Amino acid sequence: MSDPVAGARALDLVGLDRRFGDVVALDGVTFSVEAGQMVGFVGPNGAGKTTAMRIALGVLRQDAGEVRWLGRPVDAETRRRFGYMPEERGLYPKMRVLDQLVYLARLHGLSRGDARAQAAAMVEELGVADRGHDRAESLSLGNQQRVQLAAALVHRPEVLVLDEPFSGLDPVGVDVLSAMLRGQADAGVPVVFSSHQLDLVERLCESVVMIDRGRVVASGRIDDLRAADPRRLVRVEVSGAGDRWLEHVTGVRITEPLPDGGIVELADGVLQSHVLDEARGVGSVRHFSVVQPSLSEIFRRLVTR
Amino acid sequence: MWPIVARREFVERVRDRGFQVSTAITLLLLTGIVVISALFNRPTTFDLAVVGEASEPIARDVVAAAKALAIGVDVHELADAARARRAVDAGDADAAIVDAQRIVVRASPPAQLVGLIQAASLRDRSERALVSSGLSEQQVDRALLQAPLPIEALEPVDARRREAASVAFVGVLVLYGQLFAYGYWVASGVVEEKSSRVVEVLLATVRPSHLLRGKVFGIGLLGLAQLLLIGVVGFVTAQAVGTLQFPSEAIATLGLVLVWFVLGFFFYASLFAVAGSIVTRQEDLQTTMTPLTILIVASFFIGISATSSPDSTLAVLASLLPFSSPLVMPTRIALGDATWWEIVASIVISAGATAALIPLATKIYSRALLRSGRVRIRQVLRGREA
Repeated sequence: MSDPVAGARALDLVGLDRRFGDVVALDGVTFSVEAGQMVGFVGPNGAGKTTAMRIALGVLRQDAGEVRWLGRPVDAETRRRFGYMPEERGLYPKMRVLDQLVYLARLHGLSRGDARAQAAAMVEELGVADRGHDRAESLSLGNQQRVQLAAALVHRPEVLVLDEPFSGLDPVGVDVLSAMLRGQADAGVPVVFSSHQLDLVERLCESVVMIDRGRVVASGRIDDLRAADPRRLVRVEVSGAGDRWLEHVTGVRITEPLPDGGIVELADGVLQSHVLDEARGVGSVRHFSVVQPSLSEIFRRLVTR
Repeated sequence: MWPIVARREFVERVRDRGFQVSTAITLLLLTGIVVISALFNRPTTFDLAVVGEASEPIARDVVAAAKALAIGVDVHELADAARARRAVDAGDADAAIVDAQRIVVRASPPAQLVGLIQAASLRDRSERALVSSGLSEQQVDRALLQAPLPIEALEPVDARRREAASVAFVGVLVLYGQLFAYGYWVASGVVEEKSSRVVEVLLATVRPSHLLRGKVFGIGLLGLAQLLLIGVVGFVTAQAVGTLQFPSEAIATLGLVLVWFVLGFFFYASLFAVAGSIVTRQEDLQTTMTPLTILIVASFFIGISATSSPDSTLAVLASLLPFSSPLVMPTRIALGDATWWEIVASIVISAGATAALIPLATKIYSRALLRSGRVRIRQVLRGREA
C-alpha cells in the first residue's frame, strides 16, 4: 500500500482519530485503497472497522485526520458518488423495491430518468427484476440482501465501501457478491469491505488492512505480509496417530491442531527434518509440507489478546 | 436534496391504501354530518291548501304572520273541498281552508299552522262583523290593525355569530385531527427509518437536517392538501344543502384554519420528530409522545371552549401561546373577538417559537439518529455531533 499521492486514483484515510467518550475507537488510522483494488478490512470485533467506514462515508465525524479521494479531502458532494453498504442492513419495509432504488439514486444525484434506468438495470443484473414492484418486506432474506447491494451500486459509485457484506450469505450468495465486487474493482472502482471470514478475504483480495484496538497493525499485499512473517511453519499428519503426539515433540509450537497432527511453528535452530524424524517415529507419515502462513495465522500473530 | 426527501414522504403516503381509505371515510363522515344536520335544522315550511275566494285573505294573513315567526307557508289554491281533502289525506298539504268556513287537517294537526289559521280567520270574521255592524273601514282598521307586542329577548340571537361558532367548532375539530395525525406521522416516520436501519444508508448521502426538513415539508404539505380537500368538500356540501347563511365568512374561517395549521404543524412536527428520534421501536413512541399528546389535547379542549366563550381569560391566553394558539386563535378571529394586535402577536410568537425550536430539534434529531435504544435528550445535547 502506497503513501497517499496527490491526484492518485485512490481513497485515502489519513490519520483518523475518533473517541466515544473515554473509549478510543480510532487512533491514527491510515491506509489507502487504489482504483481497481479490492481490499479486505479485517480485525476483531470492536477494533474500529465500522467506525472507520462510517467516517469514510461521512456518517460519523472524525476528531482528527482526513479522508481523501483523488488526492483531495472529500466533502458532501464527493461522498454522494460513494457507495456504502452498512453492516446493519436497512431498506424501507413498505416501499416498493424499484421506488426505493430510484429514491436512493436520486439522493445520490442522478436525474429522475437516469435513476429509473439504473434501478431497472440493477434489479435485472441481480436477478430480482420480477420483484421490482413488491414491497421490500415481502422479499425473502436473500432477495433483500440483493436489493441492499443494488442500493449501494445503483448510482454507479466511484468508490465502494461495504461493512460485512458477506455476513449471512449462503455459498451461492457469496459467489454472486464476490463476482459483483470483482466486477466493480475490475471496472476501476476502489472496493473496500470488512469481513470476519478471513479465508474469504484471502481468496478474494490481493491486499488487506488489519486493524486492532483502533490502530492499523498491518496493511499491504497478502503475499508481502506472508513474506514478512518470520515464522517457519510445517504441516504434518501421521495416519491414525491422533492429535496428541505433537505435544511431545520438542522445539515446536502448535498453531493449528489437525485430526492426525497439525500446523506447527518451528523454534529458532530447529530443523524441518527434526519434525519429520519425530513423525516417522510415531507412524506412517501421510502429509508433510512447509506451509505459508495463512491470513488467519498472520492475523492471530498480530492480534494477540 | 431535501425536496427529493419531501417528494418521497408525500408520494409514498398518498399511495398508501390506508391513507386513501381514511381520507375517503373522513370525507364521507363530514358529508354525512353536514347533510344530516341540515335535515334537522331545516326551517319549518307548511303547505296550505286553500279553497274558495273567501279563504284567500285568511291565507294571506297566515303567510304574513308566519313570516314573522320564520316559518314558511306555501299556499296552494285548489278547486273544491274534495281535492283539498285528498291533498291533506295524501300529505301534500298540512292543512286546508275550505271557503273560510272549515279547517281540514289529519289526525295530528301541526299546532303552529292551525293556530295561525285560527287567528287569521278570527281577525277576518271580526273585521266582517264590525263592518256589517256599521263601522267605517277606517274605524275597523284602527280597531284591528294593532302592532304585535314587542319581544324582549334576554339573550339576543345573532344568527351570524351562531353560525360562525359552529363553523369554528368544526374547524377546531378538524385542525386538532390534522395536527395530531400528521405530527404522529412525522414521529413514526422517523422511527421507521431508525428501526429499519435505512437511516444509515440515507445518512451516507443526506445530511440529517435535510432529512428532517424533507420529512416535515413532505408530510406537512400532504396535511395541508388534505385539510384543503376536507374544507372544500365540507363547504360545497354545506352550500348544496343550504346550511350556510354566511358562506363568505365560512370561507374566511377555512382560510384561518389553513394558516394556523401551517403555524401549528411546524411547531408540533419539530417536537414529534424529536419524540421519534429518541426511540428505536414504534412501541416506545407512545411514551415519548405523551407530553405532546397532553399538550395537543389540552389545547383542543381550550379551543372547543373558545367557540362558546372566546373572550375568557383562558382563551385569550391560549390564543397567544405557541402550542395552543393554532387551536384557539382561528375561533377567536372568526367570532370577531380578537384584536388585530392579538392576531399579530399570536402569529409572531408562534413563528418565533418555531424558528427557535427547529435548530434545537434538528440538533437532537441529528445526534440521536444513529443511537439505538431509548436516548436521553440531555445526554444527546451534552454530547457532540455524530
